[in-house]
Amino acid sequence: MVREITKLITNGESEVKQMDVRFKKDGITLIVSIEGEIDHHTSRLMKERIDSKFIMEPVKNMIIDLSRVTFMDSAGVGLIMGRMKRVSSVGGKLSIRHPKPEIIKILKMSNVDNLISIEA
Amino acid sequence: MQPINKMRTEFSSKSVNEGFARVVVASFVAQTDPTIDILADIRTAVSEAVTNAIIHGYDEKEGIITMECLLYADHVKITIEDFGKGIEDIEKAKTPLYTSRPELERSGMGFTVMETFMDSLTVESVPGKGTKIHMTKQLEYR
Repeated sequence: MVREITKLITNGESEVKQMDVRFKKDGITLIVSIEGEIDHHTSRLMKERIDSKFIMEPVKNMIIDLSRVTFMDSAGVGLIMGRMKRVSSVGGKLSIRHPKPEIIKILKMSNVDNLISIEA
Repeated sequence: MQPINKMRTEFSSKSVNEGFARVVVASFVAQTDPTIDILADIRTAVSEAVTNAIIHGYDEKEGIITMECLLYADHVKITIEDFGKGIEDIEKAKTPLYTSRPELERSGMGFTVMETFMDSLTVESVPGKGTKIHMTKQLEYR
């Protein structure tokens, strides 16, 4: 039980890593891989990084990969919806990839699963 | 009924302390070995309550937030308190999708998340004095 709680708190690594964002381009799609926890504190920096990358690259669509996100509250929902507005404004499409079960719960609760495609 | 354990912590209204609050409450409740789902629900609700205190209670300025937990055999009571500006209209604030800070890309789902993820939610607030959020969660064990 102690090991599981440690993993829950520290994301399974020896250091507490709050957040990391990585980017990959696939044609006109920007793939955004987020690692760590998405809350009000981390979402502000993520928003800036994602938006400036989206503007800089010749892309139109976005995939947000949540497979390495260990926690997300409603700030994460706001982050996703804000990115959806931005992508839609240029005629693109946003989808979410591989959210963990606890993340799916808040996505369903906030109806995001009916607005944005989610790849399991 | 007396709690089997209790704790109280206070911390600055810095947004980095949202994660701190989650760690503290998870560590405290974990002593009863609840399911991972229960812990995740509690962490999320506490994160929402603390974020509300930071953004709405203090408008992201300096302030103090307290978190108190009373642990019982089958449930936990959590109270998050701030001494900020308070809420004029609690029912309006609890309306899903309502946010007084749309410029922050807030989803307006904070109270809805707390109500959904916890078993009870009560809000006490006095404009100009602060807000207390009381939540309870039944504990299920592995």
